[in-house]
Amino acid sequence: MTAAGGAPPAAAGDAPAPTPGSLERRARRLLRWYPAGWRVRYGEEFAELLLAELAEQPRAWRRTVNVAQCGITARLAAAGLAGPPAGPAGARASLGTLTCSLAVFLTFGTAMWAQLAVGWQWAPPATMATTAAMLVMSGSLLFLAVLALLAAVPAGWVAILAGFRRQALALRAPTLLMGAGALVLVAGGRHFGNGWPGTGGHWWPHQGLAPGGIAAFGWASTLSVTSYWAHPAALVSFPPAELAWMVLSPAALLSLASGAVQLVRRLELSPRILAFETRIGRAAAAGMTAFLAGALCWVAQAGPGPHGLFRTGDIDVAGLAVMAAALATGWLAICRARPLPPARATGHR
Amino acid sequence: MGRSAGPATLILSSLADGAKHGYALTKDIEAFAGVRLAPGTLYEALSRLEGQGLIEALASDDRRRPYRLTAAGAEALHAHLQAQRHVADIGLRRLAGNWGVA
Repeated sequence: MTAAGGAPPAAAGDAPAPTPGSLERRARRLLRWYPAGWRVRYGEEFAELLLAELAEQPRAWRRTVNVAQCGITARLAAAGLAGPPAGPAGARASLGTLTCSLAVFLTFGTAMWAQLAVGWQWAPPATMATTAAMLVMSGSLLFLAVLALLAAVPAGWVAILAGFRRQALALRAPTLLMGAGALVLVAGGRHFGNGWPGTGGHWWPHQGLAPGGIAAFGWASTLSVTSYWAHPAALVSFPPAELAWMVLSPAALLSLASGAVQLVRRLELSPRILAFETRIGRAAAAGMTAFLAGALCWVAQAGPGPHGLFRTGDIDVAGLAVMAAALATGWLAICRARPLPPARATGHR
Repeated sequence: MGRSAGPATLILSSLADGAKHGYALTKDIEAFAGVRLAPGTLYEALSRLEGQGLIEALASDDRRRPYRLTAAGAEALHAHLQAQRHVADIGLRRLAGNWGVA
């Protein structure tokens, strides 16, 4: 642990007196622990307090730890994960965090589901566990897609209305970010998905559980979620275009997700719509839980099926861990969402 | 005041004497309570109390922004201190009766 501001401690007796410039820099460094919104409101006065504290007691590791701890708490509160319920703004922050968790969850979940759905194009699973897991995972994904549509309709309507008002500027950047990400993902996913052998060309009764085109699109859009990253020698043999897509697609996913999160946080929804979106958020967390249960069932119970299909690997176990973390964060966020403003405290709570 | 009753009580008690900025609050609390609030803890409590409407920020010409108690804050502090006094009175009476500690 370093002393306040992160500077190395000097030997006692020969330490030069800190200059106002160095104290200011150390105060600014400490301030970085806090989120941007907090710094806008309290940054200047807090820096002034830190300057006075640093001048009085230049080295104090307890102070650094305290500032770091409170800064992290402030960041969690800004994400709707800690602190007292903060009304509509807090509910939007919680929904934004849930959107972020959902994006991470779906990236790894779709990668897992797509390999099973593509495998089913060739042969049905040999074990009941894999069949049940696929049914639960597919049902959950369908449920999440319906919820996404239900959530997007009122939010989209508010965004369109806001487009005609002064809020339009604040929504422009996230909308562009989201649109660009979605465009790249759809174009690339369709291009590389169509190249997958055995999918997309079958008649409906011969397509397994999910249509081959959708399975191949899911596979292609999450192509970067692969254990090949740990085997550079194998990666070298990949076609250059596919390698480029494995690098580009995560950027497109990131752009889509970060645009959606910013949009959710910035949209000024009415209390009624916010309450509706919060209920949708809770249902989405339940859908994610069901999907994770299905995925867990597959990884824990299923062995390789016919032709070596449906084989689980380390990447699937890692995917499960990431999905579990994303789900826990999503539940924490949505459970803290309170669409109505908190009652003003006039005494003990 | 809830979970953060400790720092909140100290801050409200300090502001009961008049408006103060962060460093003045720290020094005043250290003088009357013998507790030095760390800067992160102080501002965590200040932002929570401001959000609850128990204190309010005043306009300032420099970077040091003073805070003052609101009417709701005075009422909350009074209720909290009365409850504390009630507990303290009972505890002292029982100590005097059973342990002979005056």
